[in-house]
Amino acid sequence: MNEQHLFSITALFETPDEIIHAAQETQKAGYTHFDVNTPYPVHGMDRSMGLKPTRLGVFSLVFGIIGAVSAVALMTWVTSSDYPLVIGGKPFWSWPAFVPIAFEVTVLLVAVLSVVTMIVLYFKFPNISHPLHDTPYMKRVSSDRFGISIEADDPAFNEAAVREFLKKIGGKDIAAVHYDLEDLNHGQRMFDPKFIGVLALTALLVSGATYIVFNQLLFMEPFSWMMTQSKLKAQRPSELFKDGIGMRPPVEGTVARGFLPYPFKGKPDEAGKNLVNPLLSTRDVLDRGKSKFLTYCSPCHGNFARGDSRLRGQFPNPPTLHSDKVRNWPDGNIYHVITEGQNVMPSYASQISRDDRWAIVRYIRVLQRAQNAKESDLK
Amino acid sequence: MKKELPGQVARYGWILLIVGVVIAAAGYLIDPRRMAFDNIIGFLFLTSIGIGSIFLVALEYIAGAVWSVPMRRVNEFLGALTLLIPLLAIPIFLNLHDLYHWTHAEAVAADKILQGKSSYLNVNFFVLRFIIIFVLWSLFYFLFTRNSSRQDITKDQSLTTRNIKLSAVFMPVFAITLTLTAVDWAMSLEPHWYSTMYGVYYFSGTILAALAAATYIIVKMYESGYFPQLQRDHFYSLGALLFAFINFWAYIAFSQFLLIWYADLPEETFWFISRWKNGWEYVSILLIIVHFAVPYFALLTQDSKMDTKRLKLMAIWILFAHMLDLYWLVMPTYSKTVPFSWNEFGFPILLVGLIMVVFSFKVKRNNIVPIGDPKLERGLSFRL
Amino acid sequence: MDYTRELPVVEGRPHPAELDATIAAPLDQFPTRTWWIVLAVTLSFLSFGAFCVGMTFYKGLGMWGINQPVAWGFDIVNFVFWVGIGNAGTLISAILFLLRQRWRTGIARFAEAMTIFAVICAGMFPILHLGRPWLPVYLMPYPNQNALWVNFTSPLVWDVFAVSTYLTVSFVFWYVGLIPDFATLRDRTSSSIKKTIYSVLSLGWRHSNRHWQHYERAYLILAGFATPLVLSVHTIVSFDFAVSVLPGWHTTIFPPYFVAGAVFSGFAMVQNVLIFVRQAFNLKHIITLDHLEKMNKVMIVTGSMVGYAYAMEFFIAWYSGSQFESFVFLNRALGPYAWAYWTMVSCNVIFPQLFWFKKIRRSIPFMFVIGILVNVGMWFERFVIIVTSLSRDFLPSSWGHYIPTMYDIGILLGSFGLFFTLILIFVRILPVVSISEVKAVVEGGQPSHH
Repeated sequence: MNEQHLFSITALFETPDEIIHAAQETQKAGYTHFDVNTPYPVHGMDRSMGLKPTRLGVFSLVFGIIGAVSAVALMTWVTSSDYPLVIGGKPFWSWPAFVPIAFEVTVLLVAVLSVVTMIVLYFKFPNISHPLHDTPYMKRVSSDRFGISIEADDPAFNEAAVREFLKKIGGKDIAAVHYDLEDLNHGQRMFDPKFIGVLALTALLVSGATYIVFNQLLFMEPFSWMMTQSKLKAQRPSELFKDGIGMRPPVEGTVARGFLPYPFKGKPDEAGKNLVNPLLSTRDVLDRGKSKFLTYCSPCHGNFARGDSRLRGQFPNPPTLHSDKVRNWPDGNIYHVITEGQNVMPSYASQISRDDRWAIVRYIRVLQRAQNAKESDLK
Repeated sequence: MKKELPGQVARYGWILLIVGVVIAAAGYLIDPRRMAFDNIIGFLFLTSIGIGSIFLVALEYIAGAVWSVPMRRVNEFLGALTLLIPLLAIPIFLNLHDLYHWTHAEAVAADKILQGKSSYLNVNFFVLRFIIIFVLWSLFYFLFTRNSSRQDITKDQSLTTRNIKLSAVFMPVFAITLTLTAVDWAMSLEPHWYSTMYGVYYFSGTILAALAAATYIIVKMYESGYFPQLQRDHFYSLGALLFAFINFWAYIAFSQFLLIWYADLPEETFWFISRWKNGWEYVSILLIIVHFAVPYFALLTQDSKMDTKRLKLMAIWILFAHMLDLYWLVMPTYSKTVPFSWNEFGFPILLVGLIMVVFSFKVKRNNIVPIGDPKLERGLSFRL
Repeated sequence: MDYTRELPVVEGRPHPAELDATIAAPLDQFPTRTWWIVLAVTLSFLSFGAFCVGMTFYKGLGMWGINQPVAWGFDIVNFVFWVGIGNAGTLISAILFLLRQRWRTGIARFAEAMTIFAVICAGMFPILHLGRPWLPVYLMPYPNQNALWVNFTSPLVWDVFAVSTYLTVSFVFWYVGLIPDFATLRDRTSSSIKKTIYSVLSLGWRHSNRHWQHYERAYLILAGFATPLVLSVHTIVSFDFAVSVLPGWHTTIFPPYFVAGAVFSGFAMVQNVLIFVRQAFNLKHIITLDHLEKMNKVMIVTGSMVGYAYAMEFFIAWYSGSQFESFVFLNRALGPYAWAYWTMVSCNVIFPQLFWFKKIRRSIPFMFVIGILVNVGMWFERFVIIVTSLSRDFLPSSWGHYIPTMYDIGILLGSFGLFFTLILIFVRILPVVSISEVKAVVEGGQPSHH
């Protein structure tokens, strides 16, 4: 059984002038817990009811600033720090290009969040079981009448006085509206079990759908066609070749672009006679030669090419490069040895580029001169 | 209804006008080339207010607007400035050679691009265009104001119909003539440069200047008791229009900049680059702040748009911003660095004086409110 | 013409209860045979379009006619076309609201709905023209482990933000406007299922003025932001072309030119459909001939702006002295696509001039035909801009022709099918006119001393 607990007394009016007058009178009479219900906003009602201006605009301003700042911040971080790319030859941080997106994000946040604020803060969440719903009063104010509802929890409320007052200001169909106590005992609307249930179900459905789409569906045909292509990729087998290997070595005699084969294979003297060091003994070249020498040559030859490296005993030491033989060798011979190797020394052609080899030769000449310095060198 | 402006308006107006003329004359004697550039700025500013005001009159008729009817005469009076544009054009005509590169015959002979344009960019056609445009503008001014004034006496509604039809003809003519004015006098200062947006850009500044001038005058006159029946609602409409067109100017200015910046074509970017070097970058930044940022926030809220003090301040501010805009458009052709001295004050002072003189003259001879306009009652009782 | 009197927005001074009944009538009645026949037509277009889309997904974009050099064809033409149509709705809804033009009340709800449907049609095309349209999420900057980001400086990405923001905000704006109407419908319906649905959708609205106060401010804020939004959306679409270096595309006037063109075509579409809606649902006293005439006036204004832009482009093409610029415009008028160009000029510049004459502005058959021509002309404008500029650019050896395939055309027809199907469904399940707003502008609806 539902107890009848009074919510308010309501009255209906027929014209906008009447309702404005009624609202003014109600406010003048000292009532504060009352409301006006109209099928559309009536001009001047806010002032007639004595309402304070709405603060919704302040929220919008804040949302707008958040939108603009966060959009610019994200784009700045992405283009300047996380993954800078040179696009169109422009600097990494190109603010003119940020304006369109910053503007759109600002508008999006203002629009959506202002409406959400309106619903959450001002309407105090949708409430479909308010006492005024499903009353004859609501039916009329939804259509063609204007209404006042003076609530029972107003400090000056007295049922008889209110009814008298409403009749005096011209109200028709004065009726009482009661609470349905069953609705009252639901507690906080936000934690209503039905609501939570719907939320949980939605969450489950959305996450399930996301998983199925992105982790299952996208790997099925035809969506997966671009992922599984029959073109030959590195390390794939192939039936086109007898050995079944997809990767093929280059054909015998293939020469890489911009590369001439070494013409003096096995001919050190020819190399010595015909090759000329193309690099000059500049600081850069010598620095390069030194660095390469220390990297590649010094493990065996020692830091000063004396053949006294730290390999002592573990590997046969090479002869010193300061011998007369080597000192009298043309540059081409030294180059040849680096390229082809000699005796125990392997070929370094694949590890040291041709120019670097010439730089090493220059450096070796420096070492040779340093290790055999004459009085005149000091001048 | 009061009949005349206080005598000091005309008096101060004449003083400013004479001071301005003296400075301009001195400038022409001492540094004619520089003064000629300042003259162009003054010419474009006067044109903005003059023909811009006539545009606002036409706009009211063709849009069927009601709220602006009580104040329309302010725009009509400002429109009279259009008739005085030749006064500022003549000194420019005498200095074309100093101003426009395409008037240099030897330069054109050596430059294929300039030769291609020479059928348009030559002195005779340039002057002829101005004459035709001036005649057209004057014609529209006289027709609009004559119908409007006659209506004060006859109260004939068909005059409103006639002005509406006139507005319909005016609009396309205005679009073309204003564009040509901007192209001829400002864009051709850099004859190798071009932008299809240029006419729209000048238009956005023009309408702001006309609105701002009218707003200031309307508010000032209201405060002195000339328009007693105006309400917050009328001022809100003025403020809202100012706000809207501030945004419009910023939109046009930014679009023009963004597209040229993005494509990065040297034949287009040099125009902006010269406005980002040797001190001009500070003027550019100042322009953004003065012409957009400050007025935007100053007129953002509903209350600020209705506040007469705020409107007066922002109206003057926007007029100054428009002057700065024209300075930024024109002056970099004169000098790679930013020239700012007593010379630049000549024409602004002259123009303020001119506006005051012309306005008081018109007020003396005409009704301040269009008493015969059929929409006047609706305009006065206009509420948002 | 008596200028001292204000024209009533709604004719005849209907009582609010009458308005309820008139506007809610289509929602309560079973659809007529005409409705079913039209639906059958639109659904057939939609199905054909869906088939073409399916084939495109399955076999790839080779099913379309695009290739080098014309890499953008019907897909982007349709995209720009539909975004343009959508712009009118927001203009009517938001901009006319800010300008206090009360005549918008009869048409705003329908126009906003049209915007949403048009943007849905538009939004499909950027997705369809992707190589892998099932991965549209790649267009969004979602956090990931590979520091992969979209190119924020690209106008194509700006489009993603602009169109999705536009769709969201339009929908929110439309929905907020519907809340009081859902409440009215809730309180007059007798079906309990409908009552539940309307109760939920109305968010428990009880017409309280304490709520109206915040509601009106929210509506003003939405209108105030939707206005620059709608201008920005078509501006950003124009940036797709204008930021390039292609002659015919790279021109600074594109932003306002595109916006004016969008409003132009959008109003033509709104006016065309409203002619039928007002007839079919007895709304002639709410969507009056005066309103249609005002829309035609807007069309003259925006059509003139478009004409101005054409003239300006032509003039500067000559003035610039660039042979590439001049060639593009001569090619448009005299080259292989001249037929498209002259269709565009006659439909956009010449025929709308008839609207200068009041008799034509107020003639339903004439305005309907001109509306259709404007839409045809505006579609061709986008075709001319995109296809002619691409087919013949700088290097003659790269020139090529574009011929649309059956699938291109089918998808275009399908988009029209989708658009009109959505409209047909809309008019049957939602009130076509905003009930609460119309009540507010009927004569006598507001207090006398205000």
